[in-house]
Amino acid sequence: MPISGSKHLIQPGNYYLQGAQACAEGAMLAGCRVYAGYPITPATEIMEHFARRLPQLDGRAIQMEDEIASASVLLGASWAGTKAMTATSSPGFSLMQEVISFAIMTETPLVIVDVQRPGPGQGYITTSQEDVMQARWGHHGEGSIIALSPASVQDMFDLTIEAFNLAERWRTPVLIMAEETVAHMREPLVIPPHAEITVVDRVKPQDQGIAPQDYLPYGHGEVPPMAIWGEGYNINHVSLVHYEDGTVTRYNARTHFENVSRIHQKIENHIDEITKVDARFIDDCRHLLICYGSVSRTGVEAVLEARERYGLNIGFIRLKTLWPFAEARLRALVPEVETIFVPEMNLGMMIHPITEALRDRCSNIISIPSLGCLHTPDQILARIREELT
Amino acid sequence: MSTSAHPMLKYLKTQAPTGPRLPLILCPGCGAGQVLNYTLHAVDRILEEDNWPKEHFVFISGVGCSSRLTSHYLQFDSGWTLHGRSLAIATGALLANPRLKIIVFTGDGDAAAIGGNHFIHACRRNLNMTIICINNGLYGMTGGQVAPTTELGETTPTTPHGNVEDPFDLCRLAETAGAPYVARWTTAHPRQAIKTITKGIRKNGTAFIEILSQCPVHKKTAPVELFRRLREITVSKKDTDAIAAGKIPLGEFCNLDKSDWIARYQQIIENARSPEAD
Repeated sequence: MPISGSKHLIQPGNYYLQGAQACAEGAMLAGCRVYAGYPITPATEIMEHFARRLPQLDGRAIQMEDEIASASVLLGASWAGTKAMTATSSPGFSLMQEVISFAIMTETPLVIVDVQRPGPGQGYITTSQEDVMQARWGHHGEGSIIALSPASVQDMFDLTIEAFNLAERWRTPVLIMAEETVAHMREPLVIPPHAEITVVDRVKPQDQGIAPQDYLPYGHGEVPPMAIWGEGYNINHVSLVHYEDGTVTRYNARTHFENVSRIHQKIENHIDEITKVDARFIDDCRHLLICYGSVSRTGVEAVLEARERYGLNIGFIRLKTLWPFAEARLRALVPEVETIFVPEMNLGMMIHPITEALRDRCSNIISIPSLGCLHTPDQILARIREELT
Repeated sequence: MSTSAHPMLKYLKTQAPTGPRLPLILCPGCGAGQVLNYTLHAVDRILEEDNWPKEHFVFISGVGCSSRLTSHYLQFDSGWTLHGRSLAIATGALLANPRLKIIVFTGDGDAAAIGGNHFIHACRRNLNMTIICINNGLYGMTGGQVAPTTELGETTPTTPHGNVEDPFDLCRLAETAGAPYVARWTTAHPRQAIKTITKGIRKNGTAFIEILSQCPVHKKTAPVELFRRLREITVSKKDTDAIAAGKIPLGEFCNLDKSDWIARYQQIIENARSPEAD
C-alpha cells in the first residue's frame, strides 16, 4: 500500500532522535492515528510525542485513567477502522494483559509497546528485559503472540512499522518489547523515501468481494477478513468461544478446539515468515553468543573482542523477534557448538526456549544475567574468558 | 395459523449460518430484554425521523446479564467486550470515527464496580455516547451476589449475614462527574423509558440512563410482583417529600448544553493543520 502523502509525516532524511520519538514517528508513518496512554517512566516520552504530533495528522491522542483503559481504547479504535497504539512500562504492561488476551481471541490488530523497567513491584526505573516471558505467557488462555525486540533508535522506527504490518496482516495484537535503554537513547536515524516503506493494511470483506449477508466474521480462512464498524457489515466482536459466524451459544468441545487452534496456528504455522534473526561469524564457530535488544549492542562488542584479541572462535546471534520463538530458524543456523552464552537483563529467561531448541547441539548453555543495567562488553567478555580459558 | 412478529425482530439476527440465534439467553421475566425492546424502539424512531444511517449505530457492552444483549443477537455493528471496559472501548471507537452513534449496555456491577473508574471518567470526558445501565441490584450471571447497588441489609450469597454497605446512586454519580444528560426510569415505565432513551441518543455528549430492573430468578419472586415493587419504591423526582422518606426519584436529572471532547479536540486539530502552524 502506498503511504497517503501528508506533509506532516516525518520526511525522508537523516535525523538525530530519541528512541521514543523514532517509535512514534514510525507508528504514524505506518498509519497509526489513535494513541491512548497513561504516563509511566520510562515510556512517557512516546506519549508526549504522539500528543504533540497526532493532531497535525488529523489523529487523536488521549490520556486515559489507567493502563487498562488505554489498551481498551485500542480495541474500539481498531474495530472502527483506525490503527492504534499504546506504550507503557512493565507495571502498566501487567495491567494490559487482560486486553492482550481479549485482542487475541477477537483477532484485533493493535500495537502495544512495553518500555521495560525492572521489577518485581515498582522495581526501579532503569532498564530491563524482565517482561519477555510475560509477553508470551502473561495473558490467560492459549493463543500465540508476536513480540519484537528493538536494539537501536533505527529499530524503534523500523520495528514499529513492522509491528503494525504484522498486526494488520495476521489480525492480532503485536508487542514491541523495548527497553529503557533503547527508548531513551539518542542516535542517528535514517528515514528512507516513503515509497520504499512497506505499509500493510488489514484485508476487509469488501476487498474479497464478500457481501454483508455472506460475511463470516471469524471465517473465510486462516486469517478472517475484518469488517469495520460503520460500513454496514453488522459485525459483532465476541471473545467467548464462537463459531465462524460469531454464534456464541451451542457450545461444544469440537467448536472450541477449532476456534482457538486456528487463532493459535495462524501465527505458529508462519513462524519463518514472521520472525527475524541476525547472525554473524557462525560458520564453523565453536562457541556462540545469543542475545536480543540493547544487550546485542554490548554483546557484539564482546564477541568482536573475544575473536580479535583472544582468538576465540565465537559466533553471534541476535533475535529480532522474541515470539513466536524462531526455533526452526535457529536450528538451521546453529551448528554443534561447545558453549552458548546468553546475556540477558534478567536472571535468565529466553535461555529456556533457546535451550529447548538447541539442547542436542550444545550441552553447555550459560546465562549471563544482569538486573537494572545494561551489561558492559567487559562483563560479557569476562564471563566468556572465565569459561573458555 | 397466522402469527404476528414482534415489530423489533427486524433488528435482530434471528437466524445465522450455523443455526438459530433466538431465543435470547436471558431468563424468563428478566428486565434486560425489556430494555433492549425499549432501546430498539428508540433507535427505530430515530432511524425514521432523523435520517441517520443505520450503519453508524454501534452497540457495545461489557460482561454480565445486561451485556448479553450484544452477545450475538443484534442486526447492527456491535461488540461484546471486557467486564467494565465498555466505555473505554467506546471512547476508542469515537476517537477513530466520531460519526458513530454509540449505545452502551451495561449493568450495575459492570458500570459501578469493576468499571467504576472508567464510568466516572467517561462522564467527565463527555464523548458522544449513550450509556444505558440496566440496574437489577445484584450480580445475576454469577448467582445473585451483592453489587454496589444492593440495598443495605440485603442477604445474598456473598453477604449471607446481610449487606453492611450503602448502595451507590448512579445518577448522582454521573451528574457529579459531568455527564450532560442523566435520567432514571424502571422497566415498569416503558413509554417514559423509550422517550428518554430517544432523547439520550439524540443528545450531543454523554447521556447516562439508568433503568431499574428486576431479577425474578435470584429474588425468587414473580416478575409481576417485582414490577409492582419497582413502581412502589420509586416516585417522580418532583415528589421531594417521598424522596426524603426514602423513595427513589425518577425522571430527567440534568440536560445541559456542553461542548464534547471531539469538538474541543477538533479545534486543536484545525490549529495544528492550519498553514500558519508550519
